[in-house]
Amino acid sequence: MADSGTWHRVAALDAVKEGEALPVKLGDTAIALYRLDGQVHAIDDVCTHEFALLSQGFVEDGAIECPLHAARFDIATGRCLAAPAERDLRTYPVRIDGNDVYVSAA
Amino acid sequence: MFLRNYWYVAATDTDVGRKPFPRTILGEPVVFFRTEDGTPVAFEDRCAHRHLPLSMGKLVGDRLQCHYHGLQFDKTGHCVRIPGQDQIPPNAKVKTYPVVERYHWIWIWMGDPALADPDKITDFHWFDDPNWGAKASYLHVKSNWQLVVDNLLDLTHLAFVHETTIGNAARAEHAVVKVTRAPNNVVVTRWIIDQDPPPTFQKVGKFAGHVDRWQIIDYVPPAFLRLDVGATATGTGAPEGKRVGGVTMRNLNAITPETETTSHYFWGQAHDFDVKNTELTNNIFEQIQTAFFEDVAVFSAQQRNLDLNPNAPQIDINADTGVIQARRIIDRLRGEERAAMQMTAAE
Ligand code: FES
Ligand code: FES
Ligand SMILES: [Fe+2]
Repeated sequence: MADSGTWHRVAALDAVKEGEALPVKLGDTAIALYRLDGQVHAIDDVCTHEFALLSQGFVEDGAIECPLHAARFDIATGRCLAAPAERDLRTYPVRIDGNDVYVSAA
Repeated sequence: MFLRNYWYVAATDTDVGRKPFPRTILGEPVVFFRTEDGTPVAFEDRCAHRHLPLSMGKLVGDRLQCHYHGLQFDKTGHCVRIPGQDQIPPNAKVKTYPVVERYHWIWIWMGDPALADPDKITDFHWFDDPNWGAKASYLHVKSNWQLVVDNLLDLTHLAFVHETTIGNAARAEHAVVKVTRAPNNVVVTRWIIDQDPPPTFQKVGKFAGHVDRWQIIDYVPPAFLRLDVGATATGTGAPEGKRVGGVTMRNLNAITPETETTSHYFWGQAHDFDVKNTELTNNIFEQIQTAFFEDVAVFSAQQRNLDLNPNAPQIDINADTGVIQARRIIDRLRGEERAAMQMTAAE
C-alpha cells in the first residue's frame, strides 16, 4: 500500500485509541486521528471558530467538542454540529497497512 | 452572584478563639468565636439592635455582648439579656451559620442551613495526615475569586509570572496537557516523561537517572484546587498509575469570596518525604509563598482593569481549556441555585 506519493504515514495504528484524539502533522497541516468502532478517521485539528486545537477537546458520541467554546464536529464527516463554529472540517482518506496509519493529502 | 450552598473555608483554626474574629464572607459580615468548651460559632456580625458589628463587643462566658448597648446573645444567636429591660422581644436574635472545624480550618456554610451536611466538605486531609509534612497560610486577594481559580487551572503562567522563582523548575513546554471533565470536576494532567529531574526534586529524591513527572490539577467547585506534583524514576510505571518511590507534593488551595472584587485565599503545601523535618517543610512553603505573592500581584492588576471596563473583549487560547471548563461548571451551578431559589420562593 502507500504506493502513490500522496499517502503519508502519520502514526502507528495502536496509538490511535477509542475515545481519544491523536494530533499529528500532515506536512504543515495539523490534523487529528480518531478511532470510532474500530475505524480510523482523520480530520482537520483546527477549530473553524477561533483556531483552538480540537484534539485537546472532548470526544463524545462520535463528535469532537472544541475545548474552548464548545463547537462540535462529527468525527466521521467533519460536519459542524454546534455553534459558535460555522464551517465544517476537512476530512482525509485513511488507509491502514499493518500497524501503520496512512493519510492522503490529495 | 455567589454560590451559597457549599462549605467554604472561613478562617484558620488559630484565628478563632475567645476574642471575636470578624471576616466578610460572600458579602456578609460574619463574626467567629469559640465557646468556653472550644466549639467554634459564627454569627452575622451585626447587632440585631442598631447594626454595630458584634465583633467590637466581647465574650461574657458563652455570650457575645454588643459593644454599644450591651445586649447579650447566647451561642444560638438569641438575645438573652437587655440591660435595664426584663422583656426580650421575640425577634431579638442574630443569624447563625453552620460551622465545622476540619483540617486546621474553620469551615462555614452560607446557604440553606438544612442542607449543611459536613460530609460535603472537600477533602484536605494532607494537613493532618502523619504521612505528610504540611504548612498552610492565608492571603488576602484584591480580585474576584474566579481569577484565582483560573490561575491555578493553567500552569503555563509559571514560566512567566514565576520566571525567576519556581518557573524554571516547573517549565515543561512540550509536555502534553490533557483535560478531563465530569459534572462537578475538572482535572488537568500534564506528564513529562523520561527527563532529567528538576533540581528541587533531585535534592530530595536523589534519582540515579531520568524521571517521569506529573502535575495533576484537581478542581472541584466552587473554588477548591488540589495539585498533585511529583516524580518517580522512569520506567517504574507512574504514568500507568503505579507510583513506586519518588517524591510527591500537594499544593492545596481553597478560595472563599469576600466580596465580588476581593477574596480570601487559603493555601498550603504538603510533601510526602522527610515529613517530620519542619525546617524542610518551611523551606518548601516559603519557596511557594514567594511565587504566590507574584500571583496575587497579577490578580489585583487584572481586577483593576476589569473594574475600569468589565466588558472589554478577551480572547481564548488552548491553555484556557481547564479554565473554561471550570467556569462552565460554575455557571451551570449558579443557574441551578437560582432555579432552586425561585422554586422555594414560589412555594
Ligand atoms: S475555538 Fe472552537 S468553538 Fe471557539
Ligand atoms: S498573556 Fe495572558 S493575560 Fe497577558
Ligand atoms: Fe502562580
